[in-house]
Amino acid sequence: MNRLLTLGLTLLAVAGCANDPAPHEQMRLTHQAVEQARAIGADPQIEEMRLAEKKLARAEKNMGEEDYKRARVFAEQAELDARLAEARVLNQKSQKQLDELNARITRLRKQLGEM
Amino acid sequence: MANRILNGGLLLSLALLAACANQQSAQVLADAEAGFQQVKEDPDVLRSAPKDVIRAGESLARAERLSSYWGSAADVEHYAYLSQRYSQIARQHTELNLNQERLAKLELERDRLQLALREAKLLSAQQWPEGQTVDLAASETDRGLVMTLGDVLFNAGSSELNASANRTILKLVQFLQINPRRTIRIEGYTDNRGPAEENLELSRARAQAVADLLTDLGIDARRMEVKGYGEAHPLAENASARGRAQNRRVEIVISDERGRLGDYR
Repeated sequence: MNRLLTLGLTLLAVAGCANDPAPHEQMRLTHQAVEQARAIGADPQIEEMRLAEKKLARAEKNMGEEDYKRARVFAEQAELDARLAEARVLNQKSQKQLDELNARITRLRKQLGEM
Repeated sequence: MANRILNGGLLLSLALLAACANQQSAQVLADAEAGFQQVKEDPDVLRSAPKDVIRAGESLARAERLSSYWGSAADVEHYAYLSQRYSQIARQHTELNLNQERLAKLELERDRLQLALREAKLLSAQQWPEGQTVDLAASETDRGLVMTLGDVLFNAGSSELNASANRTILKLVQFLQINPRRTIRIEGYTDNRGPAEENLELSRARAQAVADLLTDLGIDARRMEVKGYGEAHPLAENASARGRAQNRRVEIVISDERGRLGDYR
């Protein structure tokens, strides 16, 4: 009897954890991260951006269903997916700048060599 | 007794269920651990993205702590995922930081080479005019101030400028340096011999060659537009060799003092 009570209490405690507060702040952060990534040019061609948008949509759906635990999980992952997408785009841009600058330096060297 | 057996059975089935989920979460956790291991031992990453490394470590510790509890496989996977992401972000931020350092170094190198090139061109340009005033040899047209680079300044059939163009180009550079708000449109033209497509291409390539040289001499590429017109808008009849030579040219349209250029023709 005692054991059953313990088991029951444990289950209750686990169920209690599922009753999370609504993650409004996390949702705001995630929206911001996705917006920012989009603003610097991350598009769904980047895998992480696709994931971010998908998970944010899931999080919003879960918010609507008051399933706050899932909403928080999806929103937290989407935030980092978006931040990684943003970092990748910034990196691609800096790589392009490097390539252009290197091409220019090669051209300058060639011209100087010819004179 | 019967209760005990029932309880034992329940626990066993729960354990089996958990073992399945645990296997997957153990894999995700192992990946996150490997990812974190790599970034935390990289001095470049520690220097460029210390915060991301710390967060990767915190999330990983949380996942590891949770992995010793029953029924927390989903949470373990979640925090392992976050840790993995922080490690990847740290890696990307590091690469970005290194690229920016490389860019700064290359920019110095470019400036040094531009200066050297300008000096070399200056030496090679004969009869460099004295004084601060720059006579551009440009003519006022209905399109504004237009400077013409004749065919002789290019190697035949090629987009490469030859040394006799140096003087004119240097004048233009000096003019643009004195008038930092002015912009230019560089327009290429050809005669009508050969396929129109190729002429269009050559005219554009010649205009671009002028733009490249101006850029190499330190003029900001954003101050230039490049346009190829091919055999359109001839200056003279294409019937004679003389006329054709006149038509092969690059025109540089100079904006007003506020940097405004007229429309394309």
